[in-house]
Amino acid sequence: MGEARDPEIDALLAAARVDFAGRLPAKVAEIEVLVIREDWQGARLAAHKLRGSAATYGFAVVGTTTAALEEELLLAAVSAPDANARARIAELSRKARAAADLAVTGPP
Amino acid sequence: MTPRSDTPDGVAQVEHPLFSAGELVADAYEVRQLLGAGGMGEVYEAHDRVLNRRVALKVIRPNIAPEYLLREGRALAAIRHPGVVAVYTMGQHRGAGFLVLERVQGLSLDRMLDERRARVERFALSEALELLVSITDVLSVVHRAGLAHRDIKPANVMLAPGGRVVLMDFGLVLPHADRAGHRSVAGSIQYMAPEALTGHVAEGAAHLVDVYALGVLAYELLVGIIPFAGVEPLDAYRSKTRAPAPRVTTLRSDVPEPLADLIGQMMSVDPNDRPHGAEAVLWQLRGLRASANSDVGARPFSVLVVDDDADMREVLSLYVRAAAADAEIETTGDGREAIRSVRRRVPDLLLLDLDLPDINGIEVCMLLRGMRLGDSCMIVSVSGRATRADVELLQQLGVRSLDKGPGLMDSLVELVKTIRAGRTAHKAARPKR
Repeated sequence: MGEARDPEIDALLAAARVDFAGRLPAKVAEIEVLVIREDWQGARLAAHKLRGSAATYGFAVVGTTTAALEEELLLAAVSAPDANARARIAELSRKARAAADLAVTGPP
Repeated sequence: MTPRSDTPDGVAQVEHPLFSAGELVADAYEVRQLLGAGGMGEVYEAHDRVLNRRVALKVIRPNIAPEYLLREGRALAAIRHPGVVAVYTMGQHRGAGFLVLERVQGLSLDRMLDERRARVERFALSEALELLVSITDVLSVVHRAGLAHRDIKPANVMLAPGGRVVLMDFGLVLPHADRAGHRSVAGSIQYMAPEALTGHVAEGAAHLVDVYALGVLAYELLVGIIPFAGVEPLDAYRSKTRAPAPRVTTLRSDVPEPLADLIGQMMSVDPNDRPHGAEAVLWQLRGLRASANSDVGARPFSVLVVDDDADMREVLSLYVRAAAADAEIETTGDGREAIRSVRRRVPDLLLLDLDLPDINGIEVCMLLRGMRLGDSCMIVSVSGRATRADVELLQQLGVRSLDKGPGLMDSLVELVKTIRAGRTAHKAARPKR
């Protein structure tokens, strides 16, 4: 971009990122709760939001994992998932949670 | 090959027309009259017997490669915009390929220029700016579709009733990525960029050839003359590269300095010195157009962020701040509230999530475009999951698409700077009070 940015904006961006990282586990937990309730559409919407915001804030692993989760949930929302689909959703949820926990404690 | 009337009675004449009046093409289109002819083919008015409407038939000469017609048909089909002539179908008749196009009634810009010249009149500055904004708006849609028109000139701009400005003749259109195609020398010599005259258009820089031609067109529109000599490619190349065109303001004193600067930049010999696309030109022109009677340049840069995710609203607002610290930013998570907000005040930039709970982003764009509330603001969709079909539909609505992700900040900062550059040009052009 060439020009130096306002340091205050950089500080605000850094603070927003730390704040966002701190709330990531709760966001993944929200998806997990919706999955347990078999609210596939609600879970998909929550995963959709998280994939976009996580990728934008720079948490690439959370972004890609929730993107894959969203695709599975999209299928689940249109036809009841079978055991294999449920296992994939559970596995992706677990990966998303692990990535979210790592974001709180370490680099993305 | 713009459909135009070449005789006083409105009927063009050629020695050996490809189609004849009364001839039935593809069992549906009855040829009525020849509208225009050029090196690549002819355009006829025809009557569509099935749908009972007038259409234009563009017929390509047998010695011209059929790919040209196919490329043109596909390009026109990829863009749905009032400024681009609609294509209905294509086919073959007696061995000649043809396109069936919307019949646009109107007057071509070169004809209007001729008439003004004959009366020793010029376009008023406001009139010229209005036309340039409309032409550039269409060209920016073409560029966003990944295409370069390659034959921008007054003869290819049709002025239709209702103030509609239509860009015609996509016969030379090419995708930006077509490297071999851009090495071929084609176009209208007076409007061609130096690199196009020599067939040295750099990869990914085809749209800058259009920017150059648009600069020549703007020059001609304002002062009534083309600033370069030469009807042969080599002569034209020498004329265009030997010295810059005389500054517009030396020929017309009421042209604002920023507009003269812009036209000069557009006609830069080095493509890298030109504005980096039609969209960048558009924003500057819009700012200049508004300069006469408004206070747009004086009010703060305004942005409306629409996303149902509070985290996205926050980060998008910060990105805008990174490019424009003094921006006035309003946020909402609701599509209907976004429409109400635009009704209250049209922002300079609207950042719109496609997945909104009540009314989705595409519907919001359609409503804004339909109400013409969003014409003076740039609408940008910001999505994590836009499909190709979504992006194409948005393009047709004149909406740019950005992806949520790590590259979003750079893209957005660049965009905000482009829009602000247009506003700054406008501000500088405002008369002192």
